[in-house]
Amino acid sequence: MSRTAFRIAGISLAAAFACGIAGSANAQLVTHKDISTAMAMTMAETAIATCKTNGYAVSANVLGRNGEVIVAMRGDNTGPHTLENSMKKAYTARAQRRSSGDFGDSIKDNFTAGALHLTNIVTARGALPIKIGEDTIGAIGVSGAPGGEKDEACAKAGIDKVADQLK
Amino acid sequence: MSKIAYRVAGVSLVAALAGLAGSASAQLLPHKDLSLAMATTIAQTAIDTCKAQGYSVSVHVLGREGQVVLGVRNDGAGLATFENSMKKAYTARTFARSSGEFAEGVKGNPNAGALFLTNIVPTQGALPIKVGNETIGAVGVSGAPGGEKDEACAKAGIDKVSAELK
Repeated sequence: MSRTAFRIAGISLAAAFACGIAGSANAQLVTHKDISTAMAMTMAETAIATCKTNGYAVSANVLGRNGEVIVAMRGDNTGPHTLENSMKKAYTARAQRRSSGDFGDSIKDNFTAGALHLTNIVTARGALPIKIGEDTIGAIGVSGAPGGEKDEACAKAGIDKVADQLK
Repeated sequence: MSKIAYRVAGVSLVAALAGLAGSASAQLLPHKDLSLAMATTIAQTAIDTCKAQGYSVSVHVLGREGQVVLGVRNDGAGLATFENSMKKAYTARTFARSSGEFAEGVKGNPNAGALFLTNIVPTQGALPIKVGNETIGAVGVSGAPGGEKDEACAKAGIDKVSAELK
């Protein structure tokens, strides 16, 4: 290897350190768009009202990007488990980035699926992820209707209500 | 004792037995409970009131049995506020008085039994929701710099629906 070649290699190495390490030390903050409380209230109220119109008393939970509860809403005359169940369905949809029902279907014959052993993961249908494009920013879960697909329809109505703001 | 007196006594006995039969098939307890609509108004008013004063808070409205009817985390509210608003409300519900009054009651007594129960906190910021003397729930607020400021927002929430609390 010639001297020049060594020098070039040395410069490359220095450049790599300067750019790579210094670059990651001053890395930009991650930019997030998150669900506002007003939006979460609209989704939860719409979901409960839609199910009520369909003849079902339900509870709803809207979770944010990190699975935190933004709104937990117990519908009038709902079963005592519905608030917890709607939260867990929503947590599942948020974590799995798909409907809780689709997650349930995917592990139907696999009782040892790892995800089933995590806290707040359930296999019941009734929750949908809230997305901006491919970015999952939260989830809405509904519980109380006689059948997960009926819960899910109300969850969808909630998201549809704010769809034009999800961008 | 005259015949009439016997008869009166007999009637009394029958009436007394009827009373016993009454307790065997006791009537159900007539309860009036918070609706979700009312809870939503209380929580939204509390959040808006605190926001108008510059404070981002979380609010919980609990029902008669301490169950969560509504929990709302406002934009920018501190992480602990959601849990704290629930615990304050639970404290106000179970002791049927403000969580601040409960706090005053146990001040200087770290061995107060109630402090060892789940969800009990000696922190101001929650008020019981009452119909007359009956406590049917509570509203708890957390996030303002000072429990009395939280409590003022909780009070605004209850005041908003006071005409319907009957």
